[in-house]
Amino acid sequence: MATDAPDAFPCALTLDVPFPDARLASVALQALRVDKELSSLVKRDLTAVAVEGSPDPSVLRVEYKAATNRMLRVAVNSFLESLALVLEVQEELDVDAVEALQA
Amino acid sequence: MNAITKKKRRIALGCEGSANKLGIGVILHEGDLSSPSSTCTSRVLSNVRHTFVSPPGTGFLPKDTARHHRAFFVRVAKQALADAGVSAADIDCVCYTRGPGMGAPLTSVAVAARTLALLWGRDLVGVNHCVGHIEMGRAITGAEHPVVLYVSGGNTQVIAYAEQRYRIFGETLDIAVGNCLDRFARALAISNDPAPGYNIEQLAKQGGRVLLDLPYAVKGMDCSFSGILTRAEELAAQMKAGGKGPDGEPFTGADLCFSLQETVFAMLVEITERAMAHVGSSQVLIVGGVGCNERLQDMMGAMAADRGGSVYATDERFCIDNGIMIAHAGLLAYETGFRTLMEESTCTQRFRTDEVFVKWRR
Repeated sequence: MATDAPDAFPCALTLDVPFPDARLASVALQALRVDKELSSLVKRDLTAVAVEGSPDPSVLRVEYKAATNRMLRVAVNSFLESLALVLEVQEELDVDAVEALQA
Repeated sequence: MNAITKKKRRIALGCEGSANKLGIGVILHEGDLSSPSSTCTSRVLSNVRHTFVSPPGTGFLPKDTARHHRAFFVRVAKQALADAGVSAADIDCVCYTRGPGMGAPLTSVAVAARTLALLWGRDLVGVNHCVGHIEMGRAITGAEHPVVLYVSGGNTQVIAYAEQRYRIFGETLDIAVGNCLDRFARALAISNDPAPGYNIEQLAKQGGRVLLDLPYAVKGMDCSFSGILTRAEELAAQMKAGGKGPDGEPFTGADLCFSLQETVFAMLVEITERAMAHVGSSQVLIVGGVGCNERLQDMMGAMAADRGGSVYATDERFCIDNGIMIAHAGLLAYETGFRTLMEESTCTQRFRTDEVFVKWRR
């Protein structure tokens, strides 16, 4: 993948989102990376990484770069809304949570 | 993949959110897929829906609608699973609406559906919304070879099945008939609760004294509604300014609703009849939210009866957008070996009904 010239996307933000374990971080990664960014002036990179203290990649790292701060803000806010949904589904509808529903 | 065809009981979860209705349902298919002589049955285990209603005089916008779907997904999903009495282990696949529809709402539901599929270790099945309506209509009514009139806020198509495709015989050239009705409701500030079309139907029952002149726009096999909407909005403005009808008397919102329905429904009956003549069918299956309208059902029924046939329609549980139709159509596809890869589980605003290969029918 070609690297974009840093000047083209001067506004950047990296978020590290910790998950309870690598499985959940991987689920979030796979669910969220499918949809492309709507604007060509915004670049997004999603990976699961391990941070100090844990050998497993249980942190979802999202790196955003955009042409303007406004575009960065809009893109990141939209991402966070989708992330919140993924987290809620993980908390309330994972296999064990669904079992508990029927009890 | 072939594992599913060996199972006698197959269960799917379906998630729908292409417009302002968030619907999640669970369906059960029973029967032996490998034996050609045995019949398979479908049973609705749950069908839960929550509608995003915007204030009178407004329509629902994509961003707000997507926010509504995200806010209610877990609640509706939990209700659907509880009503069905199933656990994640019981579910064979997670189906979601791939399109057509509004971008942000579609994607908000897809993100949640992907998460469920990943958490539960199940395949995803992307479903065409229109095919969902058709398959549910067929399953509920048992209609054998109908011409299908699919009418909703987002779609207006006349469809007939031929050689493993749902072929579009006629359609709107501009806006959907339901969109025409919904936008007209705004001109009269008619409530959107439970749906603008429903309230137009009720108000229309108080009309009938006079038929106001609206353009009738059938063009061969197709029809057009944007001109009718413009004229209806003009008449609404005239009415508010004290205008008189064709009989010299003031006319009311009820008169407008009545006239609009009579005009657009007559157009739909005409293009449906034209398709029936081409295809040689006497049965009509009406699906989509506008299909709940009893006046449309009556008018279509009169035409079908004249041709020695009949009209099939479902009730509001199934004609209004719902998750169970997505589960049903998705499971039918899954049983033939179709699935959607995670990397390809995007949504699309445009998705023609005839793009789908209907492998589950002969």
